[in-house]
Amino acid sequence: MSAEEEENAAELKIGEEFLKAKCLMNCEVSLILDKKYEQLQNMSDDPLSQTSQVFEKSLQYVKRFSRYKNSETVKQVREVLSRNRLAEFELCVLGNLCPETVEEAIAMVPTIKSKGRFQDDDAIDKMLRDLSLIKKFE
Amino acid sequence: MFFHMVLERNMQLHPRYFGPHLHEKLTTKLVKDVEGTCSGKHGFVVAVTKVESIGKGLIREGTGFVTFPVKYQCVVFRPFRGEILEAVVTLVNKMGFFAEAGPVNIFVSNHLIPDDMEFQSGDIPNYTTSDGSVKIQKDSEVRLKIIGVRVDAAEIFCIGTIKDDFLGRN
Repeated sequence: MSAEEEENAAELKIGEEFLKAKCLMNCEVSLILDKKYEQLQNMSDDPLSQTSQVFEKSLQYVKRFSRYKNSETVKQVREVLSRNRLAEFELCVLGNLCPETVEEAIAMVPTIKSKGRFQDDDAIDKMLRDLSLIKKFE
Repeated sequence: MFFHMVLERNMQLHPRYFGPHLHEKLTTKLVKDVEGTCSGKHGFVVAVTKVESIGKGLIREGTGFVTFPVKYQCVVFRPFRGEILEAVVTLVNKMGFFAEAGPVNIFVSNHLIPDDMEFQSGDIPNYTTSDGSVKIQKDSEVRLKIIGVRVDAAEIFCIGTIKDDFLGRN
């Protein structure tokens, strides 16, 4: 119980297991679940009966909240964000919410300011502009 | 937040399945047992993506059943306190509103809705700013911050806020 009290994503306190695990952005989950759904369609006439409510709700959710649609763009987004020494969790929150200003980005992921990974706000701004460029040319 | 993780589970199999399709049977059973479930530790298991390994089976004393340790990769959804994410509003009332983010339900109390937003009852109950510029109603997309996570038997429930900067309706 006390472990849950200490948890705080705003300080990247999410537990060893999750810090080391691979985080997925909504657009990446969308690609994975689409593929799985296709496999189910090939195997049976009624794929919906094979899926749980959790699966369906998650699929609907990631489709609605994916900022990037095709797999090439999704790869680019991960590549751009990976250039800065971000934790998986931070990377995915930024990729999901696509903040437009440095102020917004810091509000969404407070830990990017701590731990001195960005020399200054301009570095954060550059990353955000690179991100929005990808969206423009999708 | 969605994660791709490797989890382990001990699966019991009845002797009737000891044959050429044992591994397939184990995989099918694993998917049926695990997909859609929820635990406090890992959150909701959304989908099994791959069975990594199936260890040596151990015969259980007294019965003919055999237990196999199975390692598998899966997509899980686990909300964290302090996490900021987007959700869809499902119900609005004077106590606040409920929103859904994937398989998880989040409640935002009216105490954690900005003071300049007021509850309006009617056919489509909503929260609106005094100048009418921002309205939150059923099916609205809101950005919220999770401030509490509770695990209840097989479900995770969250409470959230939209009172901070950059939260609320886009």
